[in-house]
Amino acid sequence: MQVKLKIFRYNPEVDKKPHYDKYEVEADPTDRVLDLLEYVKGNFDGTLSFRRSCAHGICGSDAMRINGRNRLACKMLVKELGTDKILVEPILGLPVIKDLIVDMEPFFANYRSVLPYLINDEPPPKKERLQSIEERERFDDTTKCILCACCTTSCPSYWANEQYVGPAAIVAAHRFIFDSRDRAGAERLRILNDQFGVYRCHTIFNCTEACPREIQVTKAIGEVKRAIATGKIE
Amino acid sequence: MALKRNVGLKGMKYRGGGPMLAWALHRISGLAMVLFVGMHIVASFVMQQFGSDWATNLNIIYESTYFQLIIIFLVYFHAINGMRIILLDFWPKLLEYQREATWLQWMLLIPMYGLTAMVMMLIKLGGE
Repeated sequence: MQVKLKIFRYNPEVDKKPHYDKYEVEADPTDRVLDLLEYVKGNFDGTLSFRRSCAHGICGSDAMRINGRNRLACKMLVKELGTDKILVEPILGLPVIKDLIVDMEPFFANYRSVLPYLINDEPPPKKERLQSIEERERFDDTTKCILCACCTTSCPSYWANEQYVGPAAIVAAHRFIFDSRDRAGAERLRILNDQFGVYRCHTIFNCTEACPREIQVTKAIGEVKRAIATGKIE
Repeated sequence: MALKRNVGLKGMKYRGGGPMLAWALHRISGLAMVLFVGMHIVASFVMQQFGSDWATNLNIIYESTYFQLIIIFLVYFHAINGMRIILLDFWPKLLEYQREATWLQWMLLIPMYGLTAMVMMLIKLGGE
């Protein structure tokens, strides 16, 4: 099938304003949008810039807006779009460095602010810090995050204010708050009980819809909100 | 130099689907209610103090059946959508079933609004 690609372009060394370039490429319905971008870069314009690494939905490098929704280009099949017109733009709410590449630093700064690592100053046991199946199950969903930023950059609250920590950071906090081995849950709840913390979430669900890992992002945020309100980590 | 962070109207074009539309309509309906009550207060004040035609015209607008049909839809939507959000906030486990909650919301809203609109139209057509 013939596909009409329209791609956001911005080269800071040449362009004052961004523009869109159009390409027509032959594609199979089972091709991924990433394959089409690779084809354009290889055959039409080598200057087209985008991030990609594993190309299998694990590294989270190639998050972009495809036909108006945040998706990973490596997971989005042409047939799933249901059209032969494909619009590819960078994710919203982060500065664009070049073409589809955005500056992820503000996103990672928010991520770091919630202490996304295990904190436990108790002396380590001889073997390992044991955890039951149920205790591990409690935060299983939020361990799946690949930090692609699809959720945070689909959130209108984040668009409105970049100081909002955003869904990805709250998911990361959830992963440790509800981990029975961690001891800094109260500290993370204090960080998130801020004017730019969890209460900026207005249950819009764009994050849950956008997540390529199918994490129940809004539910995780709701659980953190409840933990702050009740003071209990259940 | 990187292109500065600029979302603006591009955010409006994001295809978030039903949940995002419900969020936007919740804000719009809230503002519409403020507008409605504001019109009422301004019209009553101007009518009482000055008795002008301007106030009469404002009265005619917000008392018209068509204006009220829109306002009632927005009030019902705001109330029921607000209830959905409150319930989901109180019991985060229900957030997994937000699609079902949205369907339930419309299943309540459509008959409630339909009945109200029918009564309003019958009164209008009856000339009362």
